[in-house]
Amino acid sequence: MIHKSLLITATISALFLSGCSQKAPELNGAQAGKNNVSDATQIASETVTINENAYGNENATNGQKGASAGKYNSSSDGFQSIYFGFGAYGISSAMENHIATNTNIVTNANGRIKIEGNCDEFGTDEYNYALGLKRAKAVKDSIVAQGVSASKMVIISYGESNPVCSNPTDGCYSQNRRVDLRLVK
Amino acid sequence: MRVLLFLFIALNLYAVDATLKIEKDVEQRARIAIVDASPVVNTTFFKILLSDFKISGHFLADSTHHKGDVNSNYLLPVLKSKEYVLKYTLTQQTGTKLIVRLLKASDSTEVFKKTYTIPTTNKMPFLAHKAVSDINNVLKYSDISWINRYVIFSRYTTPRHSEILLADYTFNYKKVIIKGGLNLFPKWADAEQKSFYYSSYTGLMPTLYKINIYSGVKQKIVASEGMLVCSDVSKDATKLLLTMAPNGQADIYEFTVGSKAKTRITKFNGIDVNGKYIDNESRIAFISNRLGYANVFKKSIHSAAVSQVVYHGRNNNAVDAYGDKIVYSSRESKNSFGANTFNLYLTSSQGSGTRPLTTTGANQFPRFSSDGSVIQFIKHRGRGSSIGYTNLTSHQSLLFPLSGRKIQSIDW
Repeated sequence: MIHKSLLITATISALFLSGCSQKAPELNGAQAGKNNVSDATQIASETVTINENAYGNENATNGQKGASAGKYNSSSDGFQSIYFGFGAYGISSAMENHIATNTNIVTNANGRIKIEGNCDEFGTDEYNYALGLKRAKAVKDSIVAQGVSASKMVIISYGESNPVCSNPTDGCYSQNRRVDLRLVK
Repeated sequence: MRVLLFLFIALNLYAVDATLKIEKDVEQRARIAIVDASPVVNTTFFKILLSDFKISGHFLADSTHHKGDVNSNYLLPVLKSKEYVLKYTLTQQTGTKLIVRLLKASDSTEVFKKTYTIPTTNKMPFLAHKAVSDINNVLKYSDISWINRYVIFSRYTTPRHSEILLADYTFNYKKVIIKGGLNLFPKWADAEQKSFYYSSYTGLMPTLYKINIYSGVKQKIVASEGMLVCSDVSKDATKLLLTMAPNGQADIYEFTVGSKAKTRITKFNGIDVNGKYIDNESRIAFISNRLGYANVFKKSIHSAAVSQVVYHGRNNNAVDAYGDKIVYSSRESKNSFGANTFNLYLTSSQGSGTRPLTTTGANQFPRFSSDGSVIQFIKHRGRGSSIGYTNLTSHQSLLFPLSGRKIQSIDW
């Protein structure tokens, strides 16, 4: 009786143990699938190339036109660029004359005015796009405070994307920390 | 006796044939040698294999470029001291074909054999990544499939012009996807990497688009005056974190792709950018200048309280997150201008367990891999730049030289 119990127990245990044994990895790549090429399908699929040069660029040459109103000026249509300190977006007292000149032009303009915020190259670009926008908004708010309708102006930030110079000098960095104004054409 | 036998059977009844995920520490990484049987030696391909094995954290690869025969089981005596030998043949005529065999060094038992073919030659790096990823899986090490993924990045070409490119993680493969115009901040739209979001600044109103990289089909998502950046995508791809400025004030919004509804998350009157989902997407980590300088904060999406995450550094202007892990870039030099030291730090959403990941150079654009195990970053040192990867488990790091223009934004 005991021998029979032991035999049954051993048989059952052997069945369970064989089910629980560590399996060796399946060999010869069978688990990788029958068709080797299919594993490289995603690699093989060709991606597109889109060329947006074909659509033109409305403001490709802006910033180069217009009379220079001071030592530096990358605005156009008679406007004067506004410059900022490192990381700053407040209008300094040195820039108040420029704001006055710009307000006069905006008041008399028939169309809308585009106010473009720009930054130097320091910091991440996402932060700089926000910083550029703060600068553009500060200029817009200064002009609105003179009684000009806000709807005449549209603001946009170009972050680090639109430098007027690329020398690694303090002078160049300060030229890039600016707001440009121009008429929307 | 019967009770003991019953217990023995019962335990076996509930035993589980568990598949072990093996994490190897430094001393236990598998030693592997590589034997090249290619008719034309391709040193670049060999180096890519070495990089893949190294960054996996699971292998110690012999850097000697052995030559041999792919079909024979013969191994040079010097290779017998290794654990595995990878034999391969790479041929590139009209397309690319890679044959790999993985042998046990002790007795030349074949563990793995596979052939990969693609109709082009420029995507050769991806065959190396696939082979190493498959070998890693066959040996049942923890997953490293992130090495198969595309990196997408943008860079400026001329003022107000940029291009968006695809690359492999080593940047040996690069291809322009969008050229011309001012298209920035690319962000993968789905885990399968079929589409990505990007911001177009061509025109008066910045606009967010989604484009399929295989069909080229482009879809307008939303436009916002001033600025527009997609900084994160929810795991189910239905929601986006956007930095947008509908009233000229940049803030972080959660945008529902289907309904186009948006929820404003931050309301500070200064700069809030770079939102990243944390803590099961119930909160965000983000960059704000609300203390007078750029720093890392966190906020629940549906409540007003904001709390500071980082308490050191002069300027912490970039952040990425995975689960409750946060990586950020911190300026540690005094000068506002010129060459600076930026180091990467890993912390948690609770701000605890902070440790440095780098010690020299200007390290920026930290990005977690799709599984959170590796951090990608850009390192500028002197006149050169590199793309770097740090394996958070094995602490292995790799740098690949970056040529060409400065990267504007990157995702992978």
